[in-house]
Amino acid sequence: MYIGGTSKENATYDAIVVGSGISGGWAAMELCKKGMKTLLLERGRNVEHVKDYTTAFKKPWEFPLGMNHTLDEIKASPVQSQFDDPGNMQFFVNDTDHPYLGTKSFNWIRGYQVGGRSLVWGRQCYRWSDLDFEANLKEGVAVDWPIRYKDIAPWYDYAEQFIGVSGKKEGLAQLPDGQFLPPMELNCIENHLADSLKKKYSDRLLTIARVANLTTRWDNRGPCQNRNLCSRGCPFGGYFSSNSSTIPAAFQTGNLTLRPFSIATEILYDEKSQKATGVRIIDTVSKESLEYYAKIIFVNASTIATAGLLLNSKSNRFPDGFGNDSGQLGHNLMDHHSSAGASGVHDGFEDMYYKGRRPCGFLIPRFRNLKPGAGLDFSRGYNIQGHGERAEWSDRMNTPGFGEDFKGQISTPGPWTTWMAGWGECLPYYENKVSADPNEKDEWGQPLMRIEFSFKDNENKMMKDIKESSAEILSSAGFKNIDTFNYNHPGGSTVHEMGTARMGRDPKISVLNGNNQIHAAKNVFITDGSCMTSSACQNPSLTYMALTARACDFAAKELKNGNI
Amino acid sequence: MNRRTSIKRLLLFGAVGVSSFSVYEWFNFNKSININTFYTYKYLIAELAETIIPRTSTPGAKDAKVEEYIIKILGYCTEPRTQHKFLTGLTDLENYSSNKYGHSFVKCGKGEKASILNHFEEKSKYPVNVLNKINNKFIGKPFFVKLKELTVEGYCMSEPGATQGLAYDFIPSTYQSCIPLQPNQRSWATK
Repeated sequence: MYIGGTSKENATYDAIVVGSGISGGWAAMELCKKGMKTLLLERGRNVEHVKDYTTAFKKPWEFPLGMNHTLDEIKASPVQSQFDDPGNMQFFVNDTDHPYLGTKSFNWIRGYQVGGRSLVWGRQCYRWSDLDFEANLKEGVAVDWPIRYKDIAPWYDYAEQFIGVSGKKEGLAQLPDGQFLPPMELNCIENHLADSLKKKYSDRLLTIARVANLTTRWDNRGPCQNRNLCSRGCPFGGYFSSNSSTIPAAFQTGNLTLRPFSIATEILYDEKSQKATGVRIIDTVSKESLEYYAKIIFVNASTIATAGLLLNSKSNRFPDGFGNDSGQLGHNLMDHHSSAGASGVHDGFEDMYYKGRRPCGFLIPRFRNLKPGAGLDFSRGYNIQGHGERAEWSDRMNTPGFGEDFKGQISTPGPWTTWMAGWGECLPYYENKVSADPNEKDEWGQPLMRIEFSFKDNENKMMKDIKESSAEILSSAGFKNIDTFNYNHPGGSTVHEMGTARMGRDPKISVLNGNNQIHAAKNVFITDGSCMTSSACQNPSLTYMALTARACDFAAKELKNGNI
Repeated sequence: MNRRTSIKRLLLFGAVGVSSFSVYEWFNFNKSININTFYTYKYLIAELAETIIPRTSTPGAKDAKVEEYIIKILGYCTEPRTQHKFLTGLTDLENYSSNKYGHSFVKCGKGEKASILNHFEEKSKYPVNVLNKINNKFIGKPFFVKLKELTVEGYCMSEPGATQGLAYDFIPSTYQSCIPLQPNQRSWATK
């Protein structure tokens, strides 16, 4: 599996995939299943399913400092340490080892290991609809998506059926139903909120989150044990990750070669054939620079790193970066905002509780701007994600007093509370961008990425509406002590970065076509978040997986027909 | 409120808490305190924690060795300003105890301990919530607030606290979404 062959013969494959995260794992599996000898490159270490989930069974008291970071850890990794904890920090990079520029404007959260961030993802799986695919065209924003829902729908089916998604069908046009396993269950307060929404609003409903957590055994994995420790890696295979699912499936074909410790530094281009010929890497163990060759290359290094790899792949033909005829490469960076929302307390259901730790919350699907002329001061929309629970010790530390009464309060269930926030669409702005810094380099001599990003008027107005509508929803359901908030987290904090190599119909203003091919180098495909033309408000991973499977199918056909 | 006025207000509020500090003290206040300093107060911290979470029919803070947790968090995970605030709090509390009762907190009876903690809980509150937040930021979390938080966290995440004081469900297997509260139901140790 681990390889070192450097002669051109040993170094030639049918396909190379750069990056083993959620979309790269899918690309590797699909290409292998189609009979292609595939090299999967990963810059970090290997993480083997189950075996390398070293913290998965640790109990709270087995962490000497609880879930706290030391001040030294925070100093060494000021960005990632806001997102990880001692239970899962082995799956996040260290900012000192992996610096970037623009840390104030954007939180770039990374997991450099086999499986990437698929180990720690939020597991929410929502389909897009034509409301999303048509929005840019209808509003004259950025460029039109080169695909519509009908193009991706069968691939959503395909992806969902493979990964296993639990969820409930609701028959909404803006959030199409999928191929679901039985849904997780709402608890008492969430059911109450759902009933209240049904009674008081004709345009809103509350449903259980649709998640890649298995409610039944699936593909020899799971079911989910309701431990809610997913981000440590699941020894039960209760949720989908590259490690638990696509990479083992790719190995099963006998066609996969996995190469960890391999940083892709350049996509090699041949002017004669007008195609990419391979990928140059640095082996971080031997420190060698090596070249690998293939007929097809899938770039799935994640939105910002993919843009970086292309920007650094310069040639006579592509002086501004690989496939960057349009000048759009690195631009139009997006991330959902999820800072605004509300919480409240409810007096009812005092005699009810729950058992188990459900690894997801609820969803109130988008209800804003479903039709033109809604009279709002912003475009697009948001969905509300949240959860209801009873207050427990960590919520009750500041209860006044001490002694026996105090102990009694913190060790019994407090009132029901609900927290919710809006996951909102971010428009693609040309000036929100990533670039390869001309001066500063990392320890491998690779240019540091510089990120420039801000949310703008449309996002800010939407966040104001989220606060108001969340409070109104809670208040109409009888909640009290309603607290609205806007955490004002910078971009990147939702970890849904998208858009640096957008798909489009016109090569002059987009990087990829409707099949995720680079317009000017048809054997290079990009199917991670960088391909996204707009962001919609749905969590995007399911769409990356569907687009990847679709592009792999297309690539195999084109190869067979001699077109690439 | 524009940025400039908000900064002015912040400075004004901050000044309420900061006014009693000289520049030299301010500088010192930002230097971190070695964990060994806190270990010298181990028995006092254990006694304070036990007063907050006493042994009842279930284990108390001492049974859970909460003082060890508190000291580790103070030593490795706590900003210098809050460290200093905590250390000052410990010595203030000891002084208050000797002045009022003629002996250390550790030697106090149940009633004396309660009266001392009542005094320090009152002291940790500013009348306005905004002041609390801003003072936390400028001069660290108040001693009593930090003490209580660490005691609760250390207890609820300890084995005796989680499994006997609370209910710990290692592998729940299923999610029972809506079930009646049982008699003497304890809350879950983990979310």
